[in-house]
Amino acid sequence: MAIDPLSVALQVASSGLGVQSERLRVVSENLANAQSTGATPGSDPYQRKTVTFTSALDRDNGGAFVRVQSVDVDRSEFPIEYLPNHQAANEDGFVKMPNVNPIIEMADMSEANRSYEANLQVIKQARQLISMTIDLLRAT
Amino acid sequence: MQPVSLFDLAAQQARWLSVRQSAVAGNIANMNTPGYEAVDVVPFERVLERSKLQLSPTRVGHMPIGAAREGFNIRADEIETTSPSGNSVTIEQELAKSGEIRHAFELNTAIVKAFHRMVMMTTRS
Repeated sequence: MAIDPLSVALQVASSGLGVQSERLRVVSENLANAQSTGATPGSDPYQRKTVTFTSALDRDNGGAFVRVQSVDVDRSEFPIEYLPNHQAANEDGFVKMPNVNPIIEMADMSEANRSYEANLQVIKQARQLISMTIDLLRAT
Repeated sequence: MQPVSLFDLAAQQARWLSVRQSAVAGNIANMNTPGYEAVDVVPFERVLERSKLQLSPTRVGHMPIGAAREGFNIRADEIETTSPSGNSVTIEQELAKSGEIRHAFELNTAIVKAFHRMVMMTTRS
Protein backbone atom coordinates (compact mmCIF):
# COMPACT_ATOMS: atom_id res chain seq x y z
CA MET A 1 0.00 0.00 0.00
CA ALA A 2 1.51 3.21 -1.10
CA ILE A 3 -0.24 5.27 1.54
CA ASP A 4 0.23 4.65 5.21
CA PRO A 5 -3.16 3.63 6.68
CA LEU A 6 -2.34 5.36 9.94
CA SER A 7 -1.96 8.71 8.23
CA VAL A 8 -5.26 8.01 6.45
CA ALA A 9 -6.77 7.40 9.91
CA LEU A 10 -5.44 10.77 11.05
CA GLN A 11 -6.91 12.51 8.01
CA VAL A 12 -10.29 10.80 8.38
CA ALA A 13 -10.48 11.69 12.07
CA SER A 14 -9.61 15.30 11.33
CA SER A 15 -12.38 15.42 8.72
CA GLY A 16 -14.66 14.23 11.54
CA LEU A 17 -13.41 17.05 13.76
CA GLY A 18 -14.10 19.50 10.93
CA VAL A 19 -17.74 18.53 10.42
CA GLN A 20 -18.47 18.43 14.14
CA SER A 21 -17.13 21.96 14.58
CA GLU A 22 -19.24 23.05 11.60
CA ARG A 23 -22.22 21.53 13.39
CA LEU A 24 -21.35 23.38 16.57
CA ARG A 25 -21.21 26.61 14.57
CA VAL A 26 -24.74 26.02 13.25
CA VAL A 27 -25.95 25.27 16.81
CA SER A 28 -24.43 28.49 18.07
CA GLU A 29 -26.07 30.45 15.22
CA ASN A 30 -29.43 28.96 16.16
CA LEU A 31 -29.02 29.68 19.86
CA ALA A 32 -27.77 33.23 19.28
CA ASN A 33 -30.76 33.96 17.06
CA ALA A 34 -33.34 32.27 19.29
CA GLN A 35 -35.08 35.65 19.77
CA SER A 36 -34.39 37.30 16.40
CA THR A 37 -37.73 38.42 15.03
CA GLY A 38 -38.42 40.23 11.75
CA ALA A 39 -38.13 44.01 11.44
CA THR A 40 -41.35 44.86 9.61
CA PRO A 41 -44.97 44.05 10.61
CA GLY A 42 -45.89 40.45 9.82
CA SER A 43 -42.40 39.53 8.54
CA ASP A 44 -40.75 36.16 9.11
CA PRO A 45 -38.25 35.75 11.97
CA TYR A 46 -34.96 33.81 11.94
CA GLN A 47 -35.41 30.29 10.61
CA ARG A 48 -33.61 27.47 12.41
CA LYS A 49 -30.72 25.95 10.44
CA THR A 50 -29.98 22.22 10.22
CA VAL A 51 -26.82 20.50 9.05
CA THR A 52 -26.54 17.10 7.33
CA PHE A 53 -23.44 14.98 6.80
CA THR A 54 -22.46 12.64 4.02
CA SER A 55 -19.75 10.02 3.71
CA ALA A 56 -17.27 10.41 0.86
CA LEU A 57 -14.97 7.52 -0.02
CA ASP A 58 -11.54 8.60 -1.15
CA ARG A 59 -10.61 6.32 -4.08
CA ASP A 60 -6.89 6.97 -3.70
CA ASN A 61 -6.47 5.83 -0.11
CA GLY A 62 -9.78 4.09 0.72
CA GLY A 63 -10.60 6.34 3.65
CA ALA A 64 -14.27 6.99 4.48
CA PHE A 65 -14.11 10.74 4.87
CA VAL A 66 -17.07 12.74 6.15
CA ARG A 67 -18.28 16.01 4.70
CA VAL A 68 -21.05 18.49 5.35
CA GLN A 69 -23.69 17.75 2.74
CA SER A 70 -25.82 20.83 3.20
CA VAL A 71 -26.85 23.45 5.71
CA ASP A 72 -30.60 23.64 5.27
CA VAL A 73 -33.39 25.44 7.10
CA ASP A 74 -35.96 23.92 9.41
CA ARG A 75 -39.35 24.43 7.72
CA SER A 76 -41.48 23.91 10.82
CA GLU A 77 -44.12 26.43 11.94
CA PHE A 78 -43.09 29.60 13.76
CA PRO A 79 -44.56 29.93 17.26
CA ILE A 80 -46.69 33.04 17.71
CA GLU A 81 -46.61 35.41 20.65
CA TYR A 82 -48.95 38.24 21.52
CA LEU A 83 -46.79 41.39 21.68
CA PRO A 84 -48.89 44.30 20.34
CA ASN A 85 -46.15 46.92 20.71
CA HIS A 86 -43.48 44.94 18.89
CA GLN A 87 -42.19 46.27 15.58
CA ALA A 88 -42.88 42.94 13.86
CA ALA A 89 -46.46 42.61 15.22
CA ASN A 90 -49.19 42.15 12.62
CA GLU A 91 -52.49 44.06 12.76
CA ASP A 92 -53.85 41.68 15.46
CA GLY A 93 -50.74 42.18 17.64
CA PHE A 94 -49.13 38.78 17.06
CA VAL A 95 -45.40 38.33 16.43
CA LYS A 96 -43.82 35.29 14.77
CA MET A 97 -40.94 34.01 16.88
CA PRO A 98 -38.04 31.88 15.56
CA ASN A 99 -38.63 28.11 15.45
CA VAL A 100 -35.59 27.45 17.65
CA ASN A 101 -36.03 25.13 20.61
CA PRO A 102 -33.10 25.69 23.02
CA ILE A 103 -33.44 22.17 24.48
CA ILE A 104 -33.04 20.55 21.07
CA GLU A 105 -30.04 22.77 20.39
CA MET A 106 -28.48 21.75 23.71
CA ALA A 107 -28.98 18.07 22.88
CA ASP A 108 -27.43 18.65 19.48
CA MET A 109 -24.54 20.43 21.12
CA SER A 110 -23.75 17.61 23.52
CA GLU A 111 -23.93 15.09 20.70
CA ALA A 112 -21.48 17.17 18.67
CA ASN A 113 -19.26 17.32 21.74
CA ARG A 114 -19.33 13.55 22.15
CA SER A 115 -18.51 12.93 18.50
CA TYR A 116 -15.68 15.47 18.63
CA GLU A 117 -14.20 13.69 21.66
CA ALA A 118 -14.40 10.32 19.92
CA ASN A 119 -12.54 11.69 16.91
CA LEU A 120 -9.89 13.23 19.15
CA GLN A 121 -9.45 9.84 20.79
CA VAL A 122 -8.82 8.27 17.38
CA ILE A 123 -6.17 10.88 16.58
CA LYS A 124 -4.50 10.29 19.93
CA GLN A 125 -4.41 6.55 19.38
CA ALA A 126 -3.10 6.79 15.80
CA ARG A 127 -0.28 8.99 17.07
CA GLN A 128 0.52 6.49 19.79
CA LEU A 129 0.68 3.66 17.27
CA ILE A 130 3.02 5.70 15.09
CA SER A 131 5.31 6.53 17.98
CA MET A 132 5.32 2.86 19.10
CA THR A 133 6.62 1.99 15.66
CA ILE A 134 9.24 4.73 15.77
CA ASP A 135 10.31 3.46 19.18
CA LEU A 136 11.49 0.28 17.48
CA LEU A 137 14.30 2.29 15.97
CA ARG A 138 15.59 3.48 19.32
CA ALA A 139 18.58 1.72 20.79
CA THR A 140 17.54 -1.10 23.08
CA MET B 1 19.30 -22.89 8.92
CA GLN B 2 15.79 -21.90 8.00
CA PRO B 3 15.08 -18.26 7.34
CA VAL B 4 13.20 -16.68 10.21
CA SER B 5 10.01 -15.04 9.01
CA LEU B 6 9.03 -13.47 12.29
CA PHE B 7 9.90 -9.94 11.24
CA ASP B 8 7.88 -10.37 8.07
CA LEU B 9 4.93 -11.72 10.00
CA ALA B 10 5.13 -8.89 12.53
CA ALA B 11 5.30 -6.30 9.77
CA GLN B 12 2.28 -7.85 8.10
CA GLN B 13 0.30 -7.75 11.33
CA ALA B 14 1.33 -4.15 11.99
CA ARG B 15 0.06 -3.24 8.52
CA TRP B 16 -3.19 -5.08 9.15
CA LEU B 17 -3.63 -3.24 12.46
CA SER B 18 -3.01 0.10 10.74
CA VAL B 19 -5.67 -0.68 8.13
CA ARG B 20 -8.06 -1.63 10.90
CA GLN B 21 -7.33 1.59 12.75
CA SER B 22 -8.15 3.60 9.65
CA ALA B 23 -11.42 1.64 9.29
CA VAL B 24 -12.30 2.53 12.90
CA ALA B 25 -11.41 6.17 12.19
CA GLY B 26 -13.80 6.15 9.23
CA ASN B 27 -16.57 4.66 11.37
CA ILE B 28 -16.12 7.20 14.14
CA ALA B 29 -15.89 10.14 11.74
CA ASN B 30 -19.16 8.98 10.17
CA MET B 31 -21.02 8.27 13.40
CA ASN B 32 -23.55 11.02 12.58
CA THR B 33 -23.83 10.38 8.84
CA PRO B 34 -27.29 9.14 7.84
CA GLY B 35 -27.28 5.76 6.09
CA TYR B 36 -23.61 5.01 6.80
CA GLU B 37 -22.78 1.34 7.39
CA ALA B 38 -20.00 0.46 9.83
CA VAL B 39 -17.08 -1.44 8.30
CA ASP B 40 -14.33 -3.70 9.61
CA VAL B 41 -11.28 -5.48 8.19
CA VAL B 42 -11.32 -9.21 7.47
CA PRO B 43 -9.75 -10.98 10.52
CA PHE B 44 -5.99 -11.48 10.47
CA GLU B 45 -6.29 -15.29 10.75
CA ARG B 46 -8.15 -15.25 7.45
CA VAL B 47 -5.37 -13.19 5.88
CA LEU B 48 -2.78 -15.71 7.04
CA GLU B 49 -4.74 -18.69 5.71
CA ARG B 50 -4.93 -17.03 2.35
CA SER B 51 -1.27 -16.12 2.17
CA LYS B 52 0.00 -19.69 2.73
CA LEU B 53 0.10 -20.50 -0.94
CA GLN B 54 2.40 -18.08 -2.58
CA LEU B 55 4.56 -19.03 -5.50
CA SER B 56 7.60 -16.88 -5.93
CA PRO B 57 8.71 -15.92 -9.44
CA THR B 58 12.01 -17.58 -10.29
CA ARG B 59 12.28 -16.57 -13.94
CA VAL B 60 11.77 -13.35 -15.82
CA GLY B 61 8.53 -14.46 -17.48
CA HIS B 62 6.87 -15.69 -14.28
CA MET B 63 3.93 -13.98 -12.70
CA PRO B 64 3.65 -14.09 -8.91
CA ILE B 65 0.65 -16.27 -7.99
CA GLY B 66 -1.01 -16.32 -4.60
CA ALA B 67 -2.37 -13.88 -2.12
CA ALA B 68 -1.71 -10.25 -2.70
CA ARG B 69 0.28 -9.27 0.38
CA GLU B 70 -0.93 -5.73 0.60
CA GLY B 71 -4.68 -5.99 0.21
CA PHE B 72 -6.64 -6.34 3.43
CA ASN B 73 -10.28 -6.57 2.51
CA ILE B 74 -12.78 -4.32 4.19
CA ARG B 75 -16.30 -5.58 4.66
CA ALA B 76 -19.46 -4.39 6.37
CA ASP B 77 -19.47 -5.02 10.11
CA GLU B 78 -22.08 -7.45 11.47
CA ILE B 79 -24.13 -5.10 13.58
CA GLU B 80 -27.87 -5.54 13.91
CA THR B 81 -28.60 -2.32 15.72
CA THR B 82 -29.29 0.51 13.37
CA SER B 83 -30.35 3.96 14.46
CA PRO B 84 -33.44 5.60 12.91
CA SER B 85 -31.16 7.48 10.49
CA GLY B 86 -29.88 4.18 9.05
CA ASN B 87 -26.46 4.51 10.68
CA SER B 88 -25.01 1.32 12.18
CA VAL B 89 -22.03 2.76 14.10
CA THR B 90 -22.02 2.13 17.85
CA ILE B 91 -19.37 4.25 19.45
CA GLU B 92 -18.75 1.91 22.38
CA GLN B 93 -17.96 -0.92 20.02
CA GLU B 94 -15.62 1.27 17.98
CA LEU B 95 -13.75 2.41 21.09
CA ALA B 96 -13.47 -1.21 22.24
CA LYS B 97 -12.06 -2.11 18.84
CA SER B 98 -9.53 0.68 19.02
CA GLY B 99 -8.45 -0.56 22.47
CA GLU B 100 -7.96 -4.02 20.99
CA ILE B 101 -5.86 -2.53 18.19
CA ARG B 102 -3.71 -0.70 20.71
CA HIS B 103 -3.04 -3.80 22.76
CA ALA B 104 -2.22 -5.90 19.71
CA PHE B 105 0.10 -3.20 18.41
CA GLU B 106 1.85 -2.92 21.76
CA LEU B 107 2.36 -6.68 21.85
CA ASN B 108 3.58 -6.64 18.28
CA THR B 109 6.19 -3.94 18.81
CA ALA B 110 7.32 -5.54 22.09
CA ILE B 111 7.90 -8.87 20.36
CA VAL B 112 9.79 -7.24 17.51
CA LYS B 113 11.93 -5.38 20.05
CA ALA B 114 12.70 -8.55 21.99
CA PHE B 115 13.50 -10.48 18.85
CA HIS B 116 15.70 -7.70 17.60
CA ARG B 117 17.56 -7.76 20.88
CA MET B 118 18.14 -11.49 20.48
CA VAL B 119 19.47 -11.04 16.95
CA MET B 120 21.80 -8.31 18.15
CA MET B 121 23.00 -10.49 21.00
CA THR B 122 23.92 -13.21 18.54
CA THR B 123 25.75 -10.88 16.19
CA ARG B 124 27.65 -9.06 18.93
CA SER B 125 28.95 -12.05 20.83
